Amino acid sequence: MNFEEFKDKVLAYAKKKGLEAELNYEMEYEFSIMLSNGELDQYSDAGSRSVMLKVLKNGKLGVSSTEIFEEPERLVEEAEENMKLVDSEEEELLYDGKGDYPSYPSMKTYFGEFEKLSVKDKMDFAFNIHKHAKEDKRIIMVPRAVFAHFVRESRIINTLGLELFYKGDGGYAYAMTLAADNSPRAGLYFDVSTVPEGLNSELIGKKAAEEAIMKIGSKSLKSGKYRVILRNDVVSEIFGMLAGMVSAERAQKNLTPLKNKLGEKVGSDILNILDLPYFPGSIFNRPFDSEGVPTQEKKVFENGVFKTFLHNLKTAKKENRKSTGNARGLSEIAPVNFVIEKGNYDYNQLLKEMNSGVVITDVEGMHSGSNPISGNFSLGARGYRVENGEIVGGVEQITISGNILEILKNVEAVGSDIKVFLSCISPSLLIKEIDVAGNEK
Amino acid sequence: MVLEKKLVEDVLYTVIKNGGDFAEVFVENRFSTRMEMKDGKLEKVASSKEFGIGIRGFLGTKAVYAYTNDTSIDNLLAVAKRVGQALGEIKVEEITLNLEKVDIPNRHVVYLYPQDVSKDMKVDIMRKAYSSAKNFSNLITQVVVHFWDYDQKILVANTEGTFAEDRRVRTRLMIQAVAERNGEMERGFYGPGAGMGFEFFDRIDVEEAGRRAARIAVRMVEAEPAPAGKMPVIISNEFGGVIFHEAVGHALEATSVAKGASVFAGKLGEKVAAECVSAVDDATIPNAWGSANIDDEGTPTQRTVLIENGILKGYLIDKLGERRMNMKSTGSGRRQNYKFAPTSRMSNTFILRGEYYPEEIIAATDYGLYAKSMGGGSVNPATGEFNFAVNEGYLIEKGKITKPVKGATLIGKGYEIIQKIDMVGNDLDRGQGMCGSFSGSVPADVGQPTIRVSEIIVGGRNR
Repeated sequence: MNFEEFKDKVLAYAKKKGLEAELNYEMEYEFSIMLSNGELDQYSDAGSRSVMLKVLKNGKLGVSSTEIFEEPERLVEEAEENMKLVDSEEEELLYDGKGDYPSYPSMKTYFGEFEKLSVKDKMDFAFNIHKHAKEDKRIIMVPRAVFAHFVRESRIINTLGLELFYKGDGGYAYAMTLAADNSPRAGLYFDVSTVPEGLNSELIGKKAAEEAIMKIGSKSLKSGKYRVILRNDVVSEIFGMLAGMVSAERAQKNLTPLKNKLGEKVGSDILNILDLPYFPGSIFNRPFDSEGVPTQEKKVFENGVFKTFLHNLKTAKKENRKSTGNARGLSEIAPVNFVIEKGNYDYNQLLKEMNSGVVITDVEGMHSGSNPISGNFSLGARGYRVENGEIVGGVEQITISGNILEILKNVEAVGSDIKVFLSCISPSLLIKEIDVAGNEK
Repeated sequence: MVLEKKLVEDVLYTVIKNGGDFAEVFVENRFSTRMEMKDGKLEKVASSKEFGIGIRGFLGTKAVYAYTNDTSIDNLLAVAKRVGQALGEIKVEEITLNLEKVDIPNRHVVYLYPQDVSKDMKVDIMRKAYSSAKNFSNLITQVVVHFWDYDQKILVANTEGTFAEDRRVRTRLMIQAVAERNGEMERGFYGPGAGMGFEFFDRIDVEEAGRRAARIAVRMVEAEPAPAGKMPVIISNEFGGVIFHEAVGHALEATSVAKGASVFAGKLGEKVAAECVSAVDDATIPNAWGSANIDDEGTPTQRTVLIENGILKGYLIDKLGERRMNMKSTGSGRRQNYKFAPTSRMSNTFILRGEYYPEEIIAATDYGLYAKSMGGGSVNPATGEFNFAVNEGYLIEKGKITKPVKGATLIGKGYEIIQKIDMVGNDLDRGQGMCGSFSGSVPADVGQPTIRVSEIIVGGRNR
């Protein structure tokens, strides 16, 4: 049956059983082209949809989801059975669209421009990335040149009368390169955009090549403490860990080192981090969260002071306050766009300001080498050595280790070179010192 | 299966009639349950039903993939047509399909399917794990327990005549314990799993599993930061095998090898590792976490020797790899679900046993790091650069384990590290993990006996 019919049957059956219910419908379409060494390797053009049902009674929630719209009764029964198992005393709730919340921020999330491109346009784009990535003779291989775009739709409908619709789209492209050296040097450059004009095949190809070429002749470092610049894309990755640590759920469950630090100065004076429903060019912009609550602009860190945890309905209820509109998926809490406010230094000025030290351009192992419970991290890294404000060579085979809360304190200068890429959006940061392990004597 | 054989054939015909020289249909039907317990209270119970169809076509080494979960005939044929057209050239004018289901013996017998066991019984397991972890020490402040099981049924058919089905059941318990001391928090994790149903819990000691997670958290909260720099490292058995998985395994996958984007490309028959190193990938181990009867392309799985006494013997090959490398598939085509085109992946991959007792290896080491429990890691197969995290580490001084150390990451280049393995223990065991790559996240076992690497960069803190 179609979704409309399925949805009506599910909600009616839940009502009949004395349950409140909410359906979260998601549709995703994606198109991608991947070239390998300039030949078409993988072409994908596909879509799928799913629906998640939450049922609620006496503050307890049960969940079931499906990708085929058949047996609406079974879906409700499954969710109800799951609900009955829950023995947590924390009150769960659904949002009725009312109450003392700001209105839904107005924003444009669907542009439809990517869908207007012909298959040939998209192919040409990928081939162009490859061409420019391969131009320089030092590049021996371009293992990947990728162009992709997507459309996402979601609907939230519940028995309390809430009915919301979201549609968004965007695209991304990247290239991976290898440069010749005594051992091959890898380069990667990635861009995202909400419209095709925001992606430049020549720039992506050339930047990916440059990333590898700059690493030719790389050496490790002597272990020790170094002054470093974390490049904008690296900050986006590392601060993704901080984004998880400001969850009120983590605080209530004793799973974050920030738990007793609300209102305290935990970072450098010049550090401001915001959660924004909308950031120009971001593909993560959303007017409402996964519980249907309006997303809200807020300062999470202001001049180094930790201002607020992020809440969903349940964690807010527990503290007798309002949700901050940060529910993500079924039970996660996350910022919409976690934005480190830019400063005054452009990238070259940051290099001058550091004078001597290391620029970190790549980190590896975020998923395993970072521990959001202690804040500690230890990551494989690559980058450049800087002397007298100039890049003098590549750095490989080092690790950087520290604690994210120490990093917040040690921010000495904030760049102006914002890169919009992940949902954590940042300029480059100059950090007073960081532990480096390497194998040079 | 929900798709009739006739419809499967029509889909394959439609692809081929519109382009390409090979077509494949993958149908997946999966039911899974996830439960989460925090502070001893069951907070989330969610079950889900996934159903979808993946349609793939090849033209030479060019691949086109599409998926859908709209099973109407019109839609399926339209998707098939798009796949054929995207491939471009029509290669096959006339094709006769003779799809006959091949009976593949089931090596992975399941006794208690997820749907046949009440969730209450599963919750009891979670409670047991919770209590044993919580009661391990008064330093334990939080225990989060996850339970995950699924029953996946797949059907694969292709224009080479393959028409095969498989059913994969997986059950896993994941325990995260948090210890707190003087305001510092650390965590410990243990997540045993298998290709079994609920009978898995007759095979493992759930309370011991809980205590193991708690022990790691308690030891680590008492630990000082690991030292930084290059030193000998002894890596314990079981999940320690993640070093081989990251440092070598990924670079042996056809995905990298076929394009020459692997440090091991073109090195078959050459000595790539120390002589004491032999390693295999084996998806036939009954009921192992990474096992299956057939891969996600319908090829029967096998045991593949990767390295024998230091000599490179084999790669992990899928159907596209078969075409690109002119070598036979090793039954290594895997994918997270129907939303991913399959590619060459590891299943249960491990270093074979050697001759030393673990105690001998420690006693033979003057100074270094003993990595007892490993976290995950990652690798760039093209450069061989890998990293992985030590979740539970100890310092070795004068042949003895002296004190716990925390927060170490090990980095290196895979092809260098496997030449530096100088002692291999006799205590082979395997551990479970989820391996992420281009075709998504798949269950994979890693394994090894205790090994020693003569030198490796330890990313710790400087004194």
